[in-house]
Amino acid sequence: MVEDQIPAPPTGRHLSARDAVVAVSVCVVLLLLFEGASIRRSGEEMAPGWERTLVLAVGHPAGALSDVTGLDGVKDRLVAWAHPNDGLSGPGGFEQAANSGSSVQPVAPVTPDAFDPRQLGQPPARPRALRTVLVTGDSLAQPLDAKVARAFASADAGVKVVRDARIGTSISQPDIVDWGRLAATQVRRVQPEAVVLFMGANEGFPMRVRGRTLSCCGADWAAEYAFRARLMMNTYRQAGAARVYWLTLPGPRDPARQRISRAVNAAIAVAASPYRAQVRIVDMTDLFTPGGRYRAAMRVGGRRVLVRQADGVHLNDTGATVALGPVLAALRADFGAQQVPG
Amino acid sequence: MVFPSVEFAVFFPVVLGLSWWLMPRPRAWKVFILAASYVFYAAADLRFCALLAAVTVVNQAGALLVGRAASDRAKNTIVMATVGLDLLALGFFKYYGFFISNVDELLRDIGLGAPAPLLAVALPVGLSFFTFQAISYIVDVRRGICERATTVDLAIYLSFFPHLVAGPIVRAREFLPQLRTPRDPRDVAVGAGVVLIIFGLVKKVVIADFLARNAVDPVFAVPEAYGAPDAWTALLSYAVQIYCDFSGYTDIAIGLALLMGFIFPQNFDRPYRSLSVREFWRRWHMTLSRYLRDFIYIPLGGNREGQAKTIRNLMITMLLGGLWHGAAWGFVLWGALHGAALSLEHLRRGRTRALPPAAAWAATFLFVCLAWIPFRAPNLDTAWVFAQRLVTPGPVSLLTPGIAVAVVGVLALQLVPDRPLDLVRERLVALPAVALGSALAVTVTLVAAAVPGNAVPPFIYFQF
Repeated sequence: MVEDQIPAPPTGRHLSARDAVVAVSVCVVLLLLFEGASIRRSGEEMAPGWERTLVLAVGHPAGALSDVTGLDGVKDRLVAWAHPNDGLSGPGGFEQAANSGSSVQPVAPVTPDAFDPRQLGQPPARPRALRTVLVTGDSLAQPLDAKVARAFASADAGVKVVRDARIGTSISQPDIVDWGRLAATQVRRVQPEAVVLFMGANEGFPMRVRGRTLSCCGADWAAEYAFRARLMMNTYRQAGAARVYWLTLPGPRDPARQRISRAVNAAIAVAASPYRAQVRIVDMTDLFTPGGRYRAAMRVGGRRVLVRQADGVHLNDTGATVALGPVLAALRADFGAQQVPG
Repeated sequence: MVFPSVEFAVFFPVVLGLSWWLMPRPRAWKVFILAASYVFYAAADLRFCALLAAVTVVNQAGALLVGRAASDRAKNTIVMATVGLDLLALGFFKYYGFFISNVDELLRDIGLGAPAPLLAVALPVGLSFFTFQAISYIVDVRRGICERATTVDLAIYLSFFPHLVAGPIVRAREFLPQLRTPRDPRDVAVGAGVVLIIFGLVKKVVIADFLARNAVDPVFAVPEAYGAPDAWTALLSYAVQIYCDFSGYTDIAIGLALLMGFIFPQNFDRPYRSLSVREFWRRWHMTLSRYLRDFIYIPLGGNREGQAKTIRNLMITMLLGGLWHGAAWGFVLWGALHGAALSLEHLRRGRTRALPPAAAWAATFLFVCLAWIPFRAPNLDTAWVFAQRLVTPGPVSLLTPGIAVAVVGVLALQLVPDRPLDLVRERLVALPAVALGSALAVTVTLVAAAVPGNAVPPFIYFQF
């Protein structure tokens, strides 16, 4: 004889299915009224696909309703106290920078910063003593950030490592986090002598510039990406007082994403050109994907080990240890072996 | 698709309304809910749907063959083959890389090469949960304690979206009977469902993620940089974080199911009030612990064959329980620690005087917290460094009033007597539908405002 073992229902008042639908409907109506613009914005931030279509199908009318009634603004004022203070309302955003230029674009002057003194056979200018390293980026920055921090902590050289990875963010989608503004905030708060930046896992979004939408991954898109990256580099280098270590993207497994990573890497190289004296491009592309071929495992110290995560984008713990070597080597070249562990 | 997301907020109301509308027509309802659950799963990765479907087909074929087989031996062989296929899927996707890396390392020591290519295999979300449920179905059918379901019912059982991704692990005989007759639209625990969703959101987004950002992640990433006060802050915060994260998810899952007329088993019962490790396992991830008990510990012989075999069975059960969480030595060590503690308690039972309740609580809580170190640390080296920092003097740099309130508040709520909390819950549950909906909207709005720019981090148990 088979006995059913349905768990006991919860105690307390039970209502009807109609009440369940009413409760959820009331919640939905209130959210559409007060969060309409947020739903629309969330949809616009999503990668193309049926989920985005679904969210925008609701978000567009809800956003329009919210715009008309102004309830979204009322809600924002009411819950402002609950919002964590990221300090991201300051200047330096991409949009502001893009709109500040005139329509006539003069030839940009070439400054001495465009040359790495070592290219000219000269000794590099000594940077400030290394006190703080900022390791930042999107999810790619993890777990590299912890590796860098642990390396410095073990060396006990009095260097502080600040880790600030912003998961799910990208340069091409500033509505979630405007990296132009974030870079300014980070520099103001942390005042790092060295910035290690590793990002690009979520790139490929269309970018809106002066009323135009640039789709990935043509020259227009790469140029705008390079402009934004350059803005960040300029902020991080702090008028020449700091050094920036920008890691290129290891090729991803997905062929569709390989297009994006190629464009991003090309843009990074272009972006850094005026600041060769302070901005170092640390090559992760050839290290992990030599010849542009994706590989999940590679030989490290004679052993074949997995270096990529199962998503085919991120480095795993071993991969981050591999990446740490070139990062520390680049830091050592600027700040010396006494301050940077080997 | 995760529960605290805009996509799900659009998906669920539509599914809920249509589900109740179609409920009087069971055939249409079943097709609809199956489609909705697969759409939910496809949002993670369309390819994983094929695996979910394959697991369903294999286990239904196994159940059919068990029904037709004449001898017990044939039935057992079919069940073993079916469970073997389930475990093969689980093993390949979850443990392949871990297994090959370790075998490779072992073989290299004796001068041989790797036995198979090293691949970073993508882990299908929820795999551990739906394969365990599939095993519970085929085994319970064989045991005669669960009737064979129709293929559609089995597919719904395995894919039902509220429990698909991270449990609770609902047994076939708990869920399938609920599919046999339409849910009664006059008897829906709306209040309990909405209150659970509200509590779950607050636990996950407000408490767990706050503690993770501000106390847990910094110290577990670089333990060398912190001294004992910060290491203890991080450890206690992690104990609270993992409870709020996982029980928060479970609360939301159970609440969503209740709104749709389905009842899931309880998964947490204030575990940090336990006076022994044995009691802890009766209160923590209850659906997993009873699963391990019924499908590993008891079939191994349980405590029926003497002390030595009981301890062996406890260790095997807990080691496998640890490994179930993921392919890493940290989880194995965590399972071994719990197995050893359960064995020690078993040996002490009846032989030594019981500790006073306060001392028993403190010892249990301390043990559970310390065992979280290898569970949370990214590798055993880091776990060891973290453990050392617990006794290394250093300044207090992480503890803020917010962290203290979150940790002490959650732990205090575990320790207060049942009655006052039940009274509060009953009051909330009794609110009318409009008030419940409004409360949910206010909670969602506040929770959304509390999320920093980089959105809600995934639930910890998604990786398992």
